[in-house]
Parts: sequence; C-alpha cells; structure tokens
Amino acid sequence: MNPAICALEFQSVSKIYPQPGRNGRFALPDGRYALRDVSFAVPQGATVAVVGRSGSGKSTLLNLAGGIDLPSSGRVLLDGEDLALPGDRRRTLLRREKIGFVFQFFHLLPHLSVADNVALPEWIAGRGTANVRRRIAGLLERVGLADRLADPVQKLSGGEMQRVAICRALLRQPRLLLADEPTGSLDDENGRLVMDLLLELAREEGSTLLFVTHSRELSRLADEIWQLQSGRLERP
Amino acid sequence: MTGYFLKTLWVHVRHGKTLYLLTLAGVALGVATVLCIQIINRNALSAFVGSVRAVSGHADLMVVGRTPDLPESLYPRVLATPGVAAAWPLYRIDVSLTGRRDFFLEIAGVDFYAPLRLPLSAELFTGGHSLSAPLTTPGWVAVTPALAADMGWQVGDSLRVSSGSRAARLRIGALVDFQRFAPLATRKLAVMDIAQAQSLLGTPGRLQEIDVKLAAGVDPQAMSARLAARLGPAVQVLSPEQRRNEAAGLLAAFRLNLTALSLISLFVGVFLIYSSVQAALVRRRGEFGLLRSLGATTPQVVGIILAEVVGLGILGTAIGIPLGWWAAKQNVAVVSATLTNIYLLEEIERLRIPPLLYLLAVGIGVGGAFLGALLPALDISRRDTRALLAPFTLHEKTSRAAPHLALAAVLLSAAALGWFLLGGRALRWSGFVLGFVLLIVLPLLTPLFIRLFCARLPVHSLGFGYSLRNLSARLQTSAFALASLAVAVSMLIGITLLIGSFRATLQTWIDQTIRADVYVTSESWARAGGQAVLAPDILQRLTSFPGVAAAEPVRIARATVYPSGRRIGLTGLAVNLAARGGHIPLYRGESAEVVRRIAAGAVSVSEPLARKEHLAVGDSLAIYGPRGVVRLPIAGISYDYSSESGWALIHPATLERIYGPGPVNSVTLYLKPGIGTGATVDRLKAAFAGVPLVIRSNRQLRTEILEIFDQTFAITRILQFMALLIAICGISLTLIILARERVAELALYRCLGARRRQIFGVFLGEGIGLGLLGSLLGCMGGAGLAAILIFLINRAYFGWTIRPAWPGPEVLRELLLILLAAAVASIYPAVRASRTPATELSLER
Repeated sequence: MNPAICALEFQSVSKIYPQPGRNGRFALPDGRYALRDVSFAVPQGATVAVVGRSGSGKSTLLNLAGGIDLPSSGRVLLDGEDLALPGDRRRTLLRREKIGFVFQFFHLLPHLSVADNVALPEWIAGRGTANVRRRIAGLLERVGLADRLADPVQKLSGGEMQRVAICRALLRQPRLLLADEPTGSLDDENGRLVMDLLLELAREEGSTLLFVTHSRELSRLADEIWQLQSGRLERP
Repeated sequence: MTGYFLKTLWVHVRHGKTLYLLTLAGVALGVATVLCIQIINRNALSAFVGSVRAVSGHADLMVVGRTPDLPESLYPRVLATPGVAAAWPLYRIDVSLTGRRDFFLEIAGVDFYAPLRLPLSAELFTGGHSLSAPLTTPGWVAVTPALAADMGWQVGDSLRVSSGSRAARLRIGALVDFQRFAPLATRKLAVMDIAQAQSLLGTPGRLQEIDVKLAAGVDPQAMSARLAARLGPAVQVLSPEQRRNEAAGLLAAFRLNLTALSLISLFVGVFLIYSSVQAALVRRRGEFGLLRSLGATTPQVVGIILAEVVGLGILGTAIGIPLGWWAAKQNVAVVSATLTNIYLLEEIERLRIPPLLYLLAVGIGVGGAFLGALLPALDISRRDTRALLAPFTLHEKTSRAAPHLALAAVLLSAAALGWFLLGGRALRWSGFVLGFVLLIVLPLLTPLFIRLFCARLPVHSLGFGYSLRNLSARLQTSAFALASLAVAVSMLIGITLLIGSFRATLQTWIDQTIRADVYVTSESWARAGGQAVLAPDILQRLTSFPGVAAAEPVRIARATVYPSGRRIGLTGLAVNLAARGGHIPLYRGESAEVVRRIAAGAVSVSEPLARKEHLAVGDSLAIYGPRGVVRLPIAGISYDYSSESGWALIHPATLERIYGPGPVNSVTLYLKPGIGTGATVDRLKAAFAGVPLVIRSNRQLRTEILEIFDQTFAITRILQFMALLIAICGISLTLIILARERVAELALYRCLGARRRQIFGVFLGEGIGLGLLGSLLGCMGGAGLAAILIFLINRAYFGWTIRPAWPGPEVLRELLLILLAAAVASIYPAVRASRTPATELSLER
C-alpha cells in the first residue's frame, strides 16, 4: 500500500497495560496483550468496521489510532506521520486538525446547546467565526436538526444526540473519523438510521471512517470488516 | 457498619487528600479565628482583674468614689461602721519610669499595718530590716519578681519615676510576688507606703479606695447598703465581682464587635465544609447507592457521612486550638495597645485559655462541620440516590431554584427592612440583625447572580467567556464557593469602608480640634490622667515662655453620671475661641454661644455621651459631686473620637466649684505669628530638660493620634484576612471538585484537540471568574455592611458620627489582591485538570 494515500497505518503495533506487581505486565484473561502485533493500512476515503467481543481490544485500537494513547511497540502513522514521535503538543494538534471522534455515549456537554456542542472543536481551535456558524447550521440541517440549534441537548432523544455528535466530529472536515460503537446506546431502528447517516456524511466529506461495532449487520455496511480477537487483528 | 466505615475511611482520605486537607484548613481556620478573639476577649480584663485581686482580693467590699477621689476622712467612718471587721485605705497611681515614656508602674499605696495579704520577700525581714522600713525609708517600694527580672533590678537598686511633672527616686526594698494570689496580675504592680505614695507621687489626704473586711456572719449586700447610706452619694460600695463587671462594661462594645467579626470567619468556614462534603457525596454516590441497595438503612448511610465529618471536625479543632492560641499571642500586643490607649486598662501580659474556651472550640469545630454536612447528608436520605446525586441533576435543580432563592432574598430583605423601620431601629442590636440578614441574603442571591452574568455570554473559544459559562453550568458547586467568597469580601470591603470613613472623619476632627501649636503633658499623663499634675511653677514657665501668645491649661477629672453610674471624663478648659479660629467642632450648638454658656457654668458633652445617656442641648448632665448630685446645663454636643465612654467640656471655675481647687494636668500653647513650632518645641525641651514632660508639636500629636487609630483596627484587619483566606481555600476546593466532576468533559476536550494549557486556562479562568464575581457581589454586600456598621452598630455601641468616605486606592488594592489570590488558588486545580488524559473516555481501561 502506498503510504502517501493511507490515512491510517498500523505497523506491528502492540499495547500492553502494565499491572503493578506482576513484572509490569497486565494479562488479559487468556494471557494475551490488549493489542498484539497489529498491522494494517486504511486508504483515504475507505470505511472499515472492526468487530470483536467485549475485551478484544477495539477501544484500545481506536485510542491508538486517535493518538490518545501510545503503542507499547510498533508505529501508528496518521497521514504518514508517526504519532509517537512529535510529543503531546503535536499529537494534540494533529487530533484537532485531522481526526473526528464519535462515542458510544455521545459525550455531549449538557450545559451547551446543540449548536454550541457542534461548535466545540472550533472553539478549541479558537475560531468561532461566522463561517463556522454557517457550517454548523448546514451540518445540522443535513442531519435533520436545523430547528434545534438553540435547544439544550438534554431535550434530544438518543438518536438526535448521536446526530449532533456526528456533526461535531465532521465540523472541521477531518481526514479520519473514529467511531466507538456509535449505535451502542441506540435501539435498532435509530441505530440503523444513525449508521446510514454517518456513512453517508463520511463519504460526502471525504473522510476515512474506522468504526467499532459488535453488530454484524452494521459491520456489513463498511467497505471492509476486520475482526479483533484477543488483541490480534484478522482481516479477510 | 462501623467496620465498613473504618476500613474505607483511610482509602477515601488517600484518594481525596487535597479535598480533605482543604476542608481541614477551613475548619481549623474557622476555629482558630473565633478562638483567637475569644482568648483575647477573655484575657482583656485579666490583668485588671488580677491587679484588683492581688491587692484587694482579701476584701469583701470596696469603697470607691463617684468623684475623682475620696477624702481620707471617710476612712475612720468606714472603720466605725458596725459589721466592719477591718478596713484599709488604698492610694493607686500610675507613674512613668523616667526615660521610658510608654512604661508605667501601677503603684498601690497601702497601709503596711493593715490586715493585708502581701507576699513580700524575706529581704524585708532580714539584715536588721523590719516592717517599719517601708515607712521610714524614703521612696521604699516593693516590685514584682517578674518585673525585677525583666529590668535587671535587685533589692537595693534605685529607680527614677515621674508622676506629672514631679520626679521621684524610689528604692527597691523588697520583692512582692502578687502572682501567688493572682497569677494574671500585671507584673508592673508595685507597693509602697500609702503616705509616701501620696506625698511623693500624688495628693496627700486623698484616697482611691477603702477595702473592707466584714465580720463573720455579716451579709455583704446589707453592709454595702449600710455603708452607702452612711458615706453619702459621692461613694460607691462594690463587691470585687461588681468592680470587675464595671470594667467589663467598658469593653463590652469593643469585645462584642470583635466577636461578631470572628463569627463571620466561621460562617465562611461552614460554607467550605458544605462544599467539600457535597463533593464527597457526589464522588461516592455510587458507593452509597450500592450500600442502600444492599440493605443499609438511611440512618446508617447518613451516620457514615456524619461520622466522617465529625472526625474531620475533631481533627480540624485539634489543629485550630493551637493555631488560635498562636494567633492570639501574635496579636495580644496590638489589642493591649488599644486597651491601654483607649480604655486605660492594663495591657494583657499573659494569656490563659479558660476550660470553657476549649469546649467552645470543640463546639465550633465539630458543630460547624456537622452543620455544614447536615443538608448534604439529609439529601442523600432520599430514595432515588443515584439520580439525586448525579452531578448535573443537582446543578439543574440549583439553576431552577435560583430565581426562587433570589425571591427569598428579596422577601427576607424587605421583611428585615420593614421590621427595622416599624420599630426595630429602637433596639440597640438592630444593626446586628440587619448584618446577619445581609449575610444570609448574599448567598441566596449568588445562583441567580451567576446565571445573570455568565449563562448567556457569547463564546468563540475556550477563553474567559467559556470559563464564566462553565460556572453557570455548575451552580450547585460554584454558587457555594461564590457565596463564601462574597461574604468574606463583604466583610473585607465593609470594614475597609468603615475604617476609611472613620479615618477621614477623624482627620477632619483632628484638623478642627488640634489647633494649638504645642501640646505639653507629662510622661505619666497618658495613664494617670487627672493624677498627673503639672506643678504651678512649671505651668507658669510654660505660659510665659518666649513666643507663646496664649495658653489653655487643662484640668482633668473623672466623674460618675447620675443615675446610670457611667464613668466619664471632665475636661476643665477655658476655651480660647479666638486662638482656635472662632470654631470648635460641634454636633449640636453654635461655637460662640456654647463657649459663652460654658463660661457661665454649662457644659458641652461629647457625642458618645449624649447618645448613650440620651442627652440633648437644653437637658442637664447630672453627676455625683462630693456633696450630692450636681446638675449642669448642656449647652452643646461636641464631636469627639478620643474615647467611647464619653466626656464633658466644663469651665475650670465650674470644676473647682464642684470638686474644689485642683491642679492642671496639661497645657496647650498658641504661638505668636512667625514663631516656628519646631524650633519652639526644641527650645522648650531644652529649657525643661530633666522635667518629665512630653512636649509635642501640633503635627506630632496628629500623627500619634492616627497611629493609635491604626493600632486599634489592627486586630480587625487580621480577622478580614482570615475570612478571606478561608474563602480562597473555598475557590481551590471548588475547582478541585469541578475537575473531579468533569473528568469525562476534560477528556473530551483532549480528544477534540484541546491542549493542556487550554484546559489550564479554562480552570484558571473559572477561578478568576469566581474572584471577579465574588468581588462584585462582595462590593455590594460590603457597601451594605459598611452602612450598617457606620450608621447603626457604631452609633448604638460607640456613639460616634462617621461620615462615609470612599478609600478608593485601598479598596482597589484589596480587590486586586482578591483577584490575585483567586488566581493563585486556581493554579493547582488547573494543573491537575490539565493533566486529565484523553483515555479517561475509553471504555476499555
């Protein structure tokens, strides 16, 4: 795979969570690491679903991909840049510029309105301009929440909240979208609707989407399905 | 459940070290502040009481004068009264140690052959000496061992003292250890033969006191009445306890106000405890919910919380007691100066903590902690524990309650004002009621205040506006921190406004009153007052000194008001109105008319006296004279800030008419035009070298008056600082709580690309925001408190008119200090918050 067109690449990545008093290693129930020797490359614009049981390492994989955590060994490359090298400041800025997150529990701030929650990434970047407000309005209209800009997020349903979270993740047109069980807190119908929306918007925005799910049905919506089992990645 | 509590207590403390430390600090500081003031309050009279007890402790009754002193002729009449087993005369006078203007000896002139209890040292009875030595050795005096040790004196040494313009040489004949009978008696108490004391230092034929020992079986009360009837209205017969209570009455207002101020610190501390307990509950809601679901009853869960808090209270009290003691020791000198300068009582030489104060400290510390924890503990007794304690639910509840709380504040204020206007104002303590209401109203207003200022701020970045918005989003937590800060700032600003206004008023009064060029008193005058006499030849030399255009000799006397028994000062002065620029500062009356009427036998009373005795121009001031009550028409009411007990300006001729001829105690000199004051003072000092005079220029006297003023309020400043310190701890505590509550939110910021310094900035902004809002609210509260202090409490308890002034630079400086302190208090919580890793959002940790 040509690294120049890979949004995300893992090269022999392993992650160990040390347990104090046991040689510094934390062993999962069957004795394997959280992630073990994982290698892959995701082309730009692709959609990849990662499936696996609880405790298989899915969230760890997302954390490493998002630069939130660092591998114990191996390399994680975002747009060709090794996330372990630049230090916390550079990693944070990379995250700000290039990565969007969608979480299972939405993680919207209850004291902010719908529009303010979407605007949060731009506030962090220090750019709350009129252009941004237009983009926010456009995104919310796209997800069917144009008339809810000023509403407090507690008034929204679960599906609506996740849609707001998707808008927040896409606000800065990230290269990479990471979704951790985006439908995990929703019922089947809403889950399907949200997933369709996520995929559609990711394609429209040109973002690479890597999402974690335990639903086989939803995983089939992706271009590729990868399986994580006991920290090891199995690809078709 | 006890086992569970004990097992988990250390775990919780370890995981919440900072929270517990800050809470401990709040309890300890609150206890220390109140205890410091109470220790000083309780000991303020100790030296006076000790000194009375040291010399007169053996007596059942004391005969004292309602006039400046008593004639010796009363003594045989007391002795001859049936029921009196023994009686002995006392002549008390304060003398100055030559060369040490601010060092006084309290001389008790006694009859060594009276049945007194004097713990004299053996030197008196060795080497051929006997009890006749005090009578036959010129200037014989016995001093305390403690003073002798301090001064390096030994038996046989000489010391030079002065009483008024008279100097005398005393010889230490023995040591007298009064502390054996009265441990708190001043070490400056000295004993000499009464006749020597009268002739060398005072006035022959006069006494201050006659102590009485009753025969067995005689009722003291009945004997007191019998003696009073026998001796006439010019004397008072008191028990030692009544004597002590009289002195306590002098200090009542001073002590009450200090106590009230110290309680504000405690009030702020209780807020701190509430915040920390609330934080602990929020953090441990899952734990309590689990306990409840496993069958723990509500009382058991509430019991765990209260036990933990009571433990904190006990620990905080254990720290607060020595801290309060230390604070009292650091400030005793300051308060002593006030006692001696303003109230003419003995300085506090030793501090003692009465057992009751230990109980008070425990009550405050444990009780305050209990009080602060009670509401949160009761809150948790609701059934749906988890939902109730979900942090944002509580914040929402507080936000919804904000308008209602504000309404309650408005209604409470209206009710208090209504009560005040409809009759409450007649009550002396109405100011305290309004002050208390103000301290309740401020916290009630804080939630709405935060919402109004912060909730709708436009935000474009994680800047200061975002920080302020966050405060409004977490009202349950931020409102309490802001409330405690607002109360502390109110106290700070209120007292600063009071002191600034008082100082400005005093400055004006000084400008209008201190008009002479030179002021001459004696070294002992500050303590001895009317007993510090300027010899006639000295007076003559002063008034005829080259360059002196006019002189105002002043005679001072102590009098007792009829029928209240209030002790006041009388200043016998023939006012030279022309020299004073034709004007004396009057609250009521016109200068020329008042001076004319004073010359004709009327008086001008000071404003404090007029208020406390409910006197007006046209009324009469009734005082006890040697031959009965004398009524003096009141021609005017003067502003006066030298004493809260009150005095009256009277013509020397009128004073002589009442009390007979008397000496001059001080003199003010007006110089001829063109004569330099500084040079004249220098020439006077040279001319009177060796005479124990204190010669001050106009400027020097003004400076000294303001120094005494500043000293008087020094203890108040310390109270302000303590309250602010507690409130600043509250800011730190609040931000730590917020950081704990918002771990997921902070992790989200990091996920979305916020740098650590941005999160640091948000928290720093929240702390500064609290400081800013607290300052704003506190300024409003402070203005209200200042008005209450100036117009109500001061007038009711001290009787002074204080014109409000705005000490702008000082207030601004204090506000900047508050903001700086808030910023500093935010640093540690901001650093902690900024270290929240993004992985906190991960499910698979």
